[in-house]
Amino acid sequence: MSSDQDHLQETDTEARFEFKKEENSAVRSGKGLTEEVIRMISDDKDEPDWMLERRLRALEQYHNMPMPSDWPGMPDLSELDVEEIIPYIRPDVDKREGVDDWTELPDEIQDTFDKLGIPEAEKNALSGVGAQYESEVVYQNMQEQWEEKGVIFCNMDEAVREHPELVKEHFMTTCVPPSDNKFAALHGAVWSGGSFVYVPEDVTVEMPVQAYFRMNSEGMGQFEHTLIIAEEGSEVHYIEGCSAPKYGTHNLHSGGVEVFVGEDAHVQYSTVQNWSKNTFNLNTKRAICEENGTMEWVSGSMGSKVTMLYPCTILKGRGATDTHITIALAGEGQDIDTGAKVYHNAPETSSTIESKSISKDGGRTNYRGLVHIADGAEGSSTAVECDALMFDNESTSDTMPYMEIEESKVDVAHEATVGKIGDEDIFYLQSRGLDDDDAKKMIVAGFIEPITEELPIEYAVELNRLIELEMEGSLG
Amino acid sequence: MSAGTQVHANLTEEQVREISGDLDEPDWLTETRLEALAALEELDMPDVIRTPGRDWTNLHDLDFESLVDPLNAAEDKDQVGPEEAEVLSWSDAVQEHEDLLKEHFGSIVDPQENYLTALSTALFSTGTVIYVPEGVDAEDVAIRTEQNSRSLFNYTLVVTEESSSVTILERQSTGAEQDEQYYSGIVEVAAGENSYVQYGSLQNLSEEAYNFTVKRGVTDTYATIDWIEGNLGTQLTKTEVSTELRGESSETQIVGAFYGHNDQHFDLDAKVWHRAEHTTADLVTRGVTDDIARSVYEGVQDVGSDAWDTSSYQRENTLMLSDESEADASPKLIINNHDTEASHSATVGQIDQEDLFYMTSRGVDPRAARNMLVEGFFVPVLEEVDVDELRDDLTELIGARLRQRD
Repeated sequence: MSSDQDHLQETDTEARFEFKKEENSAVRSGKGLTEEVIRMISDDKDEPDWMLERRLRALEQYHNMPMPSDWPGMPDLSELDVEEIIPYIRPDVDKREGVDDWTELPDEIQDTFDKLGIPEAEKNALSGVGAQYESEVVYQNMQEQWEEKGVIFCNMDEAVREHPELVKEHFMTTCVPPSDNKFAALHGAVWSGGSFVYVPEDVTVEMPVQAYFRMNSEGMGQFEHTLIIAEEGSEVHYIEGCSAPKYGTHNLHSGGVEVFVGEDAHVQYSTVQNWSKNTFNLNTKRAICEENGTMEWVSGSMGSKVTMLYPCTILKGRGATDTHITIALAGEGQDIDTGAKVYHNAPETSSTIESKSISKDGGRTNYRGLVHIADGAEGSSTAVECDALMFDNESTSDTMPYMEIEESKVDVAHEATVGKIGDEDIFYLQSRGLDDDDAKKMIVAGFIEPITEELPIEYAVELNRLIELEMEGSLG
Repeated sequence: MSAGTQVHANLTEEQVREISGDLDEPDWLTETRLEALAALEELDMPDVIRTPGRDWTNLHDLDFESLVDPLNAAEDKDQVGPEEAEVLSWSDAVQEHEDLLKEHFGSIVDPQENYLTALSTALFSTGTVIYVPEGVDAEDVAIRTEQNSRSLFNYTLVVTEESSSVTILERQSTGAEQDEQYYSGIVEVAAGENSYVQYGSLQNLSEEAYNFTVKRGVTDTYATIDWIEGNLGTQLTKTEVSTELRGESSETQIVGAFYGHNDQHFDLDAKVWHRAEHTTADLVTRGVTDDIARSVYEGVQDVGSDAWDTSSYQRENTLMLSDESEADASPKLIINNHDTEASHSATVGQIDQEDLFYMTSRGVDPRAARNMLVEGFFVPVLEEVDVDELRDDLTELIGARLRQRD
């Protein structure tokens, strides 16, 4: 690839990812976390009383819970000031229920999403887009065939009003209760927006469901909640993509994801996270998997200042399966602490965790994972593989797995390797005419292939482009 | 908040002065002990692994107040070695090698690292100092300790001068049993340039005993420290075996074998810190859990930013013989230099049913087949043990424990 072409591509891609809009907000909550703020959010959303009560309970739990501490090698959260976060901003859109047509959106928002490539995604005949600009899903598109089959895909706020029974039963009850950790409690108090996906029995949604999130106001947080319910024998692939422009103040992203995988159901949840380099990304994601169900997590973490994210699967039913495929890339000033948690609570359950990480320019990646096999989960197996690539001597690469095995009829294997990018590999490629940078890019692309091959083509392309930009250090 | 046991409330400066006085120690040693005693107020228990909702080992429930009986220590000890090396009891070493002690005592394991190291430093009344002069090859150093009292605090120092070598075999067992006993040991090894230390230990204390041990070595240039540790006894063991590779091109190997049965709880740490160029580490641990025993393993490979050209490997395998046992493991990599080749692996499982089927189909009695497979499981570890005596002892103890099963 010639450097001219390179340059052109870069400029274009940078323009796609790095731009910042004048803020235009209809409702803006005050800074800090008080009962008033929570009531204001709930009121503005016309929420039923039960949701307000849940928010207030979560707020109380948040205030009573300690910050996570004394974890070995824990990222530094000292610069995170939750009181400075603005929990809620609603863009100025006339329609409260979202819009049915792209063109109804304000120009500014359309422009934002144009740069993110959503219209292209439409052209690619993807099945539905829920796009979150700031705290609210403002655009929804559903294909008729879905509605006929009883599939529900809407924003979370709408789901609270339209599908209260489903939400009441599943929202932060058994999967991610606010008591799980301080940031789950915070999320439960101030959550706003996000997606609700319901797939009825034996329905297969062939096309991936997508949602894009963006943070575009200084010092604001983003607390979207995603709830996926896949009934018996159903199948769905949900994709969440993130990319945020760069700011001068610290942002907090604290999302919540809950997935219910019914008997024989199959859910894949894919994320490409590229928050700006001043974002604290502290999420709680969890799936509960019934008999013979399959859960697959695919995640790429490239952005943020600090990420602490350990997607968790509880294998509750006999024969349930879990797969984690994660990639983390940390550059200058970044601490990406991510991994997986799997609880084998039933016989004949299996899990596979494949983690790849790359650290460069003083960045740190850490794989932190827990596999727990409960007494009685006979015939369970788990295989964990972590590979890390380091580019230079300023960077750090850690691996901290934990295995708790209470059952003997199991097959447990964990392995990890760390190494530098191979001089011989680079020499080989250079001897074939590639320059040093291109050789490194190619090696990294090969290294992360297990992840990219799990993603639809446009995501894989985006992920590869992001990593290329990241390696050139040209993305803020 | 320091240790919840508050044992230090019952310990006095007078007791510490009495122990130190009986050994005729110089003032600076007495001071070090008293400082450790005073620090108990502030110190925490050794780190244990915590995962959501669980502490892997609970040291706070130990009733140190009733376990620690500092002035009534009783033991039966042999410490022998070849003539060319000095193998001294602690009291002799205090008289003959004060300068050596001043240089090394507490320099490798900080007496105030945690509550239990400080307790051990304040109260130890026995120990061994092994000094190997330049160019000397000392084989067959043996230390045998039989505990005959409620508590016993032990200290061991090994110093090897340039281009010397030493092989040490240490054994702990219980003589006069009481309902509960506490054994505490600190071992410091300073391996001089181009020297070689092999330190094997076999812990076979009574199953009523509690054991806390830290064994740590520091290597000079081209030095090698090889640790071998077998754990069979006690109801609760918390140990660390570790090496700081401080000198260029130095090496270490940590080999561990354990066999827990009944309600034994082993918390075993193997750690290595790469702090210089061209260092190599190899950590190999294998163990069995039976009945309702529990094993907890933490292995840490820490590569510092100056440790160019590091090689670091770790393997841990646990075999579960009983459904009611538990095996927890956490092998960790902390890498701050990219010029590193590092890997770790851990497995947990039970005896391979196909292997068992193969053997029984060839006419081997199922029990004998199972025992052979367990003995075979330990072979890769036993092969790393150079000292015949230690290898034979371990093999025999593992065999005996297997034959105890119904």
